Amino acid sequence: MADPKNSETATGLSDLKDKIGHIPIIRRNSFVYGFLTVLILYGVFLLPSRGSSGTVDLGRIALFGVLLLIWAMVVFTDELKSEKMKTTMVFSLFIIAGWLYYRYSTARWGEMGFLFFNVEMIQKAWPTLMEGFWTTLLLAVGAAIMSTIVGLLLAVFRSFNNAVLNFFIIAYVDFFRAMPIIVLMMLIYYALPFMGISLSAIMSGILALGLNSSAYVSEIFRAGFLSVKKGQIEAANALGLTPIQTMRLVILPQAFRVVIPPLVGNYVASAKDTALASSISIIELLKAGLSQKSLLANPSPLIFVTALYLAMFLPLTRFAGYLEKKMKASQRQVRL
Amino acid sequence: MSNMNLPETMIEVVDLHKRFKDLHVLKGISTVVKHSEVVAVMGPSGSGKSTFLRCLNRLEEPTSGRIYIEGVDIMAPYIDINRVRTEIGMVFQSFNLFPHLTAIENIKLAPMNVRKISNKEATERGMALLEKVGLAEKATAYPEQLSGGQQQRVAIARALAMQPQIMFFDEPTSALDPEMIGEVLDVMRNMAKEGMTMMVVSHEMGFIREAADRILFLADGLIVEDGTPDQIFNHSKHKRTIEFLGKIL
Repeated sequence: MADPKNSETATGLSDLKDKIGHIPIIRRNSFVYGFLTVLILYGVFLLPSRGSSGTVDLGRIALFGVLLLIWAMVVFTDELKSEKMKTTMVFSLFIIAGWLYYRYSTARWGEMGFLFFNVEMIQKAWPTLMEGFWTTLLLAVGAAIMSTIVGLLLAVFRSFNNAVLNFFIIAYVDFFRAMPIIVLMMLIYYALPFMGISLSAIMSGILALGLNSSAYVSEIFRAGFLSVKKGQIEAANALGLTPIQTMRLVILPQAFRVVIPPLVGNYVASAKDTALASSISIIELLKAGLSQKSLLANPSPLIFVTALYLAMFLPLTRFAGYLEKKMKASQRQVRL
Repeated sequence: MSNMNLPETMIEVVDLHKRFKDLHVLKGISTVVKHSEVVAVMGPSGSGKSTFLRCLNRLEEPTSGRIYIEGVDIMAPYIDINRVRTEIGMVFQSFNLFPHLTAIENIKLAPMNVRKISNKEATERGMALLEKVGLAEKATAYPEQLSGGQQQRVAIARALAMQPQIMFFDEPTSALDPEMIGEVLDVMRNMAKEGMTMMVVSHEMGFIREAADRILFLADGLIVEDGTPDQIFNHSKHKRTIEFLGKIL
């Protein structure tokens, strides 16, 4: 079969009949449209009668959602319908479902603006929210700096290949990877004072985030060092470069190229975990939003905080993905 | 050690041993390499020829024995091995060019950082060397953009940039496609003509017959035979040598 397109036109109708003959029942049009009718009827019965204030049963809505997805899957796997038609069918159904919810649910749409996007409330909350934002930034940057220094040192020590040293480094890495950050924060903030170590809430937060992140950073750097081939170090030695020059001129530049995408990804993950610091009385972005929500009895500050988180992390996540893709592409080019 | 102090002695090896844990790779090698001599090291795989070469600039740490480079005991505890290595250029089987640097940057790296010469001078010297290996137009290419033969020629230029007294070649053509072997051997042949002291681990019979002054034939960690190419190739009396040559010819 050289060209499947050509062969299709050649055999034409008989091929089509052949296909239809093998289509299981779920792909027949009568089944697809029958299923659709049942779904719509079920959806209509799910809605509360007009004027009643009762909320709809969540379990039945979930079942409706699952059935909708199954139907979409049946449509999409139908080889005989055009791609365009399948897309239109599925998406118009989802739009109809959304419209039904909008039209018949008990949500108070008229008050949406007041409840969720209330500019006045956000203005009132603004000073606190900004304070929270700077605190979040401080936590994220502090943890990033600490984890980079500690992680890099651990990776360098690990490269010495000393059995005893390695044992402790592996234990460190395993411990902090296994330990939930929130538990670590509470330990540092609430338990360490009993051992005579009293840290401010911010310091505890940075320390917990940094310790956790450093475990990952050290593994990332280790992988980076390992990616530099042994022959590179031999070539540098043979040229008379000192060990420090070899590290600076040959190993690090090569390792950094490998390390930067996962490192950025790790910083983003660590920055997202700053929200956990709200559990040890730090007024960071989330806690600021929550407290303002309670104070003003309006969820707008919380919505604003959500938007702010997304505005910070969406570009960074994209950026990390882009770096990763770029590195994979450049690796593919290398031949040996 | 009668000839140790003679000026024409470049390398002297006395009773060199190398052990990797239980494996006794070199079992007492002694030899002398003179100025401008081209010595080919041959032998079946596992005979220790690469290890022998790598011991001579201490890329592998010898277990025991003495090595003198121009009369200097490089096994002495006070010796700065990095200084010694600047006098010995090394070319590897797998080229080992630095992939993050261009061809000319690869060549300039060691002269600028070890010899501390200026960027301008290093560039001039580097370009002259690239010219010599026929790759002047590839100066700004990265290793990944070069063929195997071109990479190996850049690697030779990189080693020469340090203006070494001695050049080691550890199977320089083994990783190359057949059509690229010639270009690398040409460069090596020219170096031999210019009087470079060379030690070459290789099985390129044509090159050895033409360019080598001597062949060291190693088997099981010992020098089995030491003679001119003619003696070894045509008049060998050793069973191991004849057997090996029969296989590779």
